Amino acid sequence: MGTLLTDELRGWIGREVSYASPEAIGRASIRYFALAIGDDNPLYVDDAYARAAGYPSIVAPPTFVCETCQYAHRAPDRDGYIGHAWDLPIEGCRMVRGGHEYEFFRPVVADDRIDVTWRLEDISEHRSSRGGSMLIVISTASYSNQHGEPLARHRETLIFQPLEEQR
Amino acid sequence: MSSQTFGPAALEVGVRIPTLERTLSQMRLVAYGAATWDWHRLHYEAEYAAARGIARPVADGQMFGALLAAALIDWLGPRAFIRRMSFRLRAMVFAGETIRCEGEVTAITAEPAGEVIRVAQRVRVGDRIAVEPASAEIMLRR
Repeated sequence: MGTLLTDELRGWIGREVSYASPEAIGRASIRYFALAIGDDNPLYVDDAYARAAGYPSIVAPPTFVCETCQYAHRAPDRDGYIGHAWDLPIEGCRMVRGGHEYEFFRPVVADDRIDVTWRLEDISEHRSSRGGSMLIVISTASYSNQHGEPLARHRETLIFQPLEEQR
Repeated sequence: MSSQTFGPAALEVGVRIPTLERTLSQMRLVAYGAATWDWHRLHYEAEYAAARGIARPVADGQMFGALLAAALIDWLGPRAFIRRMSFRLRAMVFAGETIRCEGEVTAITAEPAGEVIRVAQRVRVGDRIAVEPASAEIMLRR
């Protein structure tokens, strides 16, 4: 124990980074997301249907805001990822997602331009089920729109497992 | 369309959420990656996955959140607003596998704006559990 969690890594705890989306989400992104997950609910494409359900227009599927990386305007990293990443100094590990907690404050609409602030809440080392060690990295993201209205909050757990323990 | 046409007829603790089934073909994993502006190679590049001890391209774990939420809105109707959800990922799901999102009502309480439904959910793939526990709290507006 104690071999993965270095003082350098501990120094990352508490860091924050903010992103301002270059554009509003747009109707196309909403329709594309629904199509990709195989969701044919008219709430995401049909304004008349959405208005009958009490919304001003079509809305985004519930978890859309916490899943899209549209807010970031980055070049892909070596993994091909273009969303927020801390680029932590962790070598010889693979990253897997551990879980997610979402809180939603209001429906997200196509005109929303999203601001996101990520905060690195904690890094801790734990014994894995294989008897080795693993790192658990917990981050939160707070999403709001261009009017300053909070949209959602997201707590993400990532797990870093040493590669040699996989086999 | 009147709001009375939305939502299930009977809601009580123990009622099961209609199961949502999806085959997560390689095509769908690519589509989901593109739709979320996520080009991570793990979701489509077999050699990249193999170098990390993973047999085949893997579904993005966040996709299960989208599918668990879709199961809830399909069932409760468009006036339902998910206030919270959480889910824990237990096993990888590989390109080509078929998942089933299932769950049941665990609590119903009344608030001035409507009913609050709490559910427990899980995702199965074959005889494996991919996601569990998962829970959500939904406001069903009057």
